[in-house]
Amino acid sequence: MAKQYGMVIQVAKCIGCQACTVACKFQNEVPEGQYRTKSPVFGPIGTYPNVAMYFEKEACQMCQKAPCVNVCPTKASHYDENGLVMIDPDKCVGCKYCLTACPYDARFINAKTGAADKCTFCFEERVSKGLKPACVSTCVGGSLSFGDVNDPNSDVAKILTKSKSEFRKAEFGTHPSIYYIFDGVVR
Amino acid sequence: MNRRQFLKYALYGAGGTAIGVSGLGALTKVAPKSAIATTNTEETTVFSACEMCRNQCPIAVKVVNGKVTKIEGNPNDSGFGGVICARGNSGPSLLYDPQRLKKPMIRTGERGTGKYKEVSWDEAYTYIADKLKVIQQDFGGESVAFASRKGPHDWFFRTIGKGIGSPNIFSHEATCPMTRSVALDSMFGVEAIAADYANAKYIVSFGRNWLEGIHIAQTRAIMKAIDNGAKLVVLDPRLSVTASKGEWIPIKGTTDLAFVMAMANIIITEERYDKDFVERYTSGFDQWKEAVKDKTPEWAENETGIPKETIIRITREFAEARPQAILDFGWRTGLTPNDFQLRRAIMIVNMMMGNFEVPGGYYRIKNASVTNRFPEMTGYAKALGAINQPAFPKPVTSRIDGTGIKGIPGQLIPEGDGAVGQIVESILTGQPYQIKAWMVHRFNPVISITESDRVIEALKKLDLLVVCDVYMTDTAMFADVILPECSYLERHEPVYDMSGLTPKYVLRQPAVELVYPDTKPSWQIYKELGEKMDLGKYFPFQNIENYISRQLTPAGLSLSQLKQKGVWTPEGMKPFYLRANDSQASLGNVISKVSQKIEFYSEEVQHATKQGVPQYKRHPQPEEGKFRFVQGKVAVHTNAGTVNVPVLNELMPENSLWINKASADNLGILDGDDIIISSGIYEHKGKAKVTEGIRPDTVFCYHGFGRISPELKRAFGKGINDNKLILNQIGEVGNVCTSMTMVTVKKA
Repeated sequence: MAKQYGMVIQVAKCIGCQACTVACKFQNEVPEGQYRTKSPVFGPIGTYPNVAMYFEKEACQMCQKAPCVNVCPTKASHYDENGLVMIDPDKCVGCKYCLTACPYDARFINAKTGAADKCTFCFEERVSKGLKPACVSTCVGGSLSFGDVNDPNSDVAKILTKSKSEFRKAEFGTHPSIYYIFDGVVR
Repeated sequence: MNRRQFLKYALYGAGGTAIGVSGLGALTKVAPKSAIATTNTEETTVFSACEMCRNQCPIAVKVVNGKVTKIEGNPNDSGFGGVICARGNSGPSLLYDPQRLKKPMIRTGERGTGKYKEVSWDEAYTYIADKLKVIQQDFGGESVAFASRKGPHDWFFRTIGKGIGSPNIFSHEATCPMTRSVALDSMFGVEAIAADYANAKYIVSFGRNWLEGIHIAQTRAIMKAIDNGAKLVVLDPRLSVTASKGEWIPIKGTTDLAFVMAMANIIITEERYDKDFVERYTSGFDQWKEAVKDKTPEWAENETGIPKETIIRITREFAEARPQAILDFGWRTGLTPNDFQLRRAIMIVNMMMGNFEVPGGYYRIKNASVTNRFPEMTGYAKALGAINQPAFPKPVTSRIDGTGIKGIPGQLIPEGDGAVGQIVESILTGQPYQIKAWMVHRFNPVISITESDRVIEALKKLDLLVVCDVYMTDTAMFADVILPECSYLERHEPVYDMSGLTPKYVLRQPAVELVYPDTKPSWQIYKELGEKMDLGKYFPFQNIENYISRQLTPAGLSLSQLKQKGVWTPEGMKPFYLRANDSQASLGNVISKVSQKIEFYSEEVQHATKQGVPQYKRHPQPEEGKFRFVQGKVAVHTNAGTVNVPVLNELMPENSLWINKASADNLGILDGDDIIISSGIYEHKGKAKVTEGIRPDTVFCYHGFGRISPELKRAFGKGINDNKLILNQIGEVGNVCTSMTMVTVKKA
């Protein structure tokens, strides 16, 4: 079966420490004030003292049916050979259609390059060399896993068989590659 | 509010403040990434140790063409798993920060006005040496105080102090874990006791916040325990991230000891303790039993505000899980004047459960000198060598804080730490004698010691203040001489022993050449200053490589060997718990008390404080209209250390005051409002973070903000400096007392 890269986020294990946020910035030379990923807090929800709080990592959802690819007038946004959504900065004209089209608000115009920018799963720099994405490698709480969901021996496949996962905004029909697991989380 | 705005406000909601701005803006296309020519790159990985906080986690530094591009955890250390926190990841941001100190400087204007001239190192050394000579002649070496954030630099820094005969050498520990150290020392005769969180089944935290006060190995161990099904209970007046991962019990501030004593009462009444352990290994159980006999769950409910049913349930759950059950002994522990008795009580309850030297309990740190006491463990590791120094002059006076004086609480204060807040008092009051000069290394008393205005008043009175740091800190701005240290990514340091369940040595080594060529490593600064002061004989080594080799040779290791992996642990040695397979094994080799017992009742503590076993003391609770002011750590910053580091400042530039929603409603305060916080003596402006995650009688802020040094250009004037509001009350064993301040809050 063809490779299908996916990231699993076990929300209960995210401690909101932002190690992933910073690792991504250095790995990908993301300019000051801009982020490819971040893990904002949700809550406290409820009323004192019955409250809950969690963190939810946000980034490109690596949709298999990506609105950003559909709207790109120059084909800068495209699927690579593994089906991952990538941006060719040489082709990007900075029109921002993709920024508007993305239901996850995951894209921005890189202040250094002027091109649209977003998470790439660190594919070129790390995954193609057998490493995990920078965020996954530095995850302190053990919330993040990455791999080929079609490989039953991968970490991600094993977790996904054990726990029920969700896609963000599944109603948009984007078929993301980021799987959120909310086991143990009060929402 | 749209999503982008929501994120802007919510991202570090736990801090009450946003992470930066979004990438959107009026931008023109500049240069596509692929147009940047790729040349031959030389990429290396240097294994070293982090210094974004005090924990020295092992790191792997990626260097491309002589520039640090990224920092990761050192994968060679299994406890750290190749992981590093946000602060550790931000190392390059500190390294290349143009706001770092770059040259030695001597003050030319009034203190605090920022007027300095750049000087050569030799001029700086000469100035310090000349001044110290005069002060030493006129007032004695004891009138010079030394204070540093504890670390591997201390061997060199403290040598100057010892060399001039000053007894007044301090660490920062009184502002952090010192009451815990005192408790351990009084019970075990040694501070080197740690908890095996990963294997625990039940963990109770008294305000301990592993998930925001991050120590990678410990944070991972807690998450592993939770993952394995351990229950976590967190008693804390505010909902920390740690509390959000377990059962949050919003205990009334300063009443933790009541909870612990009630646990003991229940455990004894219900006979749930490990009788064999108590009998075999401990002393003073009867006095402790007497002390807790009336500390019933009903009594504790009244003190703590926690229903007695909850106290009983948690105690029973905890007892059921023994010995894989841990009452945590805390980290930042200087909360009340008698805080050390809380830490003692916590450890007494632990030991009642027999959770010592077993997986999932507490254990004696197994460095080489400990492992070699056991025939079956001998030969795996040898101790590091020491660099011998000639005898130092004997100080002619006692210390200003009473440390080491028998029959008073000072008897209990660890000699290497001291009551650092006393320096301020002795400068201002001349009691017990005058401090005239203060040498400060990588420590920021204006933010780190309670009652900032009083600290500043003291600094202004000094004849000499010398600060060595990487930034123009809030303390450096009052200094006569400023010495710029290079960052941890540019220097070697003595190899340090980071042993846990097995011995471990960790190396810090430079990843790159000096970024600012006029900065220096601390070992070199103090060696050169020492030579200028005719103290050269106390620095008997040529350079740091030579120093390190002399540490490593007796251990059968070499510097080149350590450089390869950055850490060294003995091959094939398993985690070592004395009682794992033999519940009656002798503990004689790990308890350092003459009695060979774990002392619940301590003759020494009785002598010093008249409380040989912990006794409950009721602290005041906030009156109507007032709030108890508490503080804590956040994951993206280190205390008074990192708020100006570019990437971390971007994540969280300021803090805010957490206030309960109902309390805020009463005061007409909305989330984000400008407020004034008043202790009745001091006032501070700030912003309110209205939340359901805190007791209605308590307010909270993260520590380390509200910086007053204009040279910290990103951090200057942003947020609340908690220590401006807290009085410099010195606790029974020299600790700060950070939970004793009551404040009012009003709209600005």
